[in-house]
Amino acid sequence: MTPPPAVFKALQVLIVEDEPLLAMDVEMMVEEAGHNVVGEAASLYDVEAMETELAPDLALVDMQLARGTNGLDVSKLIQDRWPSAVIVFVTANPKKIPEDFSGAHGVIAKPFSRSGFLSALNYLGEGIADPPPASTQPSSFVASPSVRDIWSARAQIDR
Amino acid sequence: MSQKDDWHLTEILDYEHGRGDPFAAAVRATRMAMVITDPSQPDNPIVFCNEAFQNLTGYDREEIVGRNCRFLQGDETDKASVSKIRAAIEAEESIHVDLLNYRKDGSTFWNALFLSPVRGASGDVQFFFASQLDVTDRVMAQETISAQKAAVDSEVKRRTADLEKALEAKTLLLHEVDHRVKNNLTMIGALLRLQVRSIDDADIRVKLETMMERIDALATVHRRLYQADDVTRFDVAAFAANLASDVIGASGRSNIRLKCDIEPIEVRSEHASALGLILNEVLTNAIKHGLRENRAGSISITATRDGDEAKLSIEDDGVGLIMDPATNGLGHALIKRLSPQSGTTVAWDRLPTGTRVTLHIPEMEHTS
Repeated sequence: MTPPPAVFKALQVLIVEDEPLLAMDVEMMVEEAGHNVVGEAASLYDVEAMETELAPDLALVDMQLARGTNGLDVSKLIQDRWPSAVIVFVTANPKKIPEDFSGAHGVIAKPFSRSGFLSALNYLGEGIADPPPASTQPSSFVASPSVRDIWSARAQIDR
Repeated sequence: MSQKDDWHLTEILDYEHGRGDPFAAAVRATRMAMVITDPSQPDNPIVFCNEAFQNLTGYDREEIVGRNCRFLQGDETDKASVSKIRAAIEAEESIHVDLLNYRKDGSTFWNALFLSPVRGASGDVQFFFASQLDVTDRVMAQETISAQKAAVDSEVKRRTADLEKALEAKTLLLHEVDHRVKNNLTMIGALLRLQVRSIDDADIRVKLETMMERIDALATVHRRLYQADDVTRFDVAAFAANLASDVIGASGRSNIRLKCDIEPIEVRSEHASALGLILNEVLTNAIKHGLRENRAGSISITATRDGDEAKLSIEDDGVGLIMDPATNGLGHALIKRLSPQSGTTVAWDRLPTGTRVTLHIPEMEHTS
């Protein structure tokens, strides 16, 4: 099979998505990329009901969620509970995300392609395991302004 | 004429029509209605009126001289305008005002009244001179115009409200359709990906993966269009570079180098899907077949513009296979059938090592 990148760390991934087919698809792609899915949730209430020990490295969060809840509130809850988790919105309406991302770290816009999603995941994996990411940012992923600043600052130091 | 006997104020005005002082004669004969009043008498009565004034008002001279001008006023006469005239007389100032007046027969006319004091040598006001011009036609025309304007204004307001409502409904519908298109494309992609994983037959899986990639290319085109600032144009060069980097990035292969030397090639967005599909065929062919079996190599994408035509070329240094017809019969057909829409021609060149595919794309006319 393909050789793993120089620095690879299997991420613990939380999926927050109210569309069951899409949640299943994302779960399979995450596992295909060598990471582990530690939890799946369809609404804010599902995330609230989760164990605190879960400690995800990465949370993939849809904006429009079940039971009238939304990704921004889920993002706030995750920031409270698991401050070290990287939060990435996965949404068909990226324009609804506030300019500062409300503390989240990036967005993958729907509809995504398999290769676009996997590239984004690889890029995030590199950024989490050994920031800044070694590869260039794929067009399928947009980092929040704060993350962009941090990664470009680290890139300067490394040089 | 009895008023002649009352007329003792000044001999200047006591000439018969056309006789003596030419100024007095002119005042008598002009078509402009005129009166003179005497403020030194009680209630400032009219002491002279010309024939034009009699014609305008329908009163005889005997009925006019000796009366205050207010006998021309009626129920519909504007009180505020009357007050202004009174104030001007008290202040001994000139005034010009349009006033609704009544004739003897009760009919009305709009009177453009000009009134001014006439001072004697001592500087005291001796008379008031007033001229009256029938401006009924002008006032009526103005009223008609302002009534029409009001009608047009309210019609415009009503139509604008209708249009705003229609626009709101359309916008809502557009958002709904936009949301459904995105969601359906996402779902179709998810369904295909889920299906691919459950297929054991390698041949069928490859075919389904190819189909999944085509759907993915369409989804990517759609995403790029809705995220762009200008939905009417589509940069095929940037799309090709990103598609290549996504496909290489997702393959996890670190032995493929991607070199891009591109400038934007903009086409009308109606051609975006077709060109997106063509580029998907060309790129996946280069990566999957040209650089097959984990063969190390590089993909070069160059985009240049020359006048109205743009050139986009994709070159690999792989095994030099020009699309395997066995697995890619549909791929060939897609390229052949989709390229004429946008006037694009596709040329395949076999290189010493690898393949070069060149797309000649007519660029959209630039507005700026």
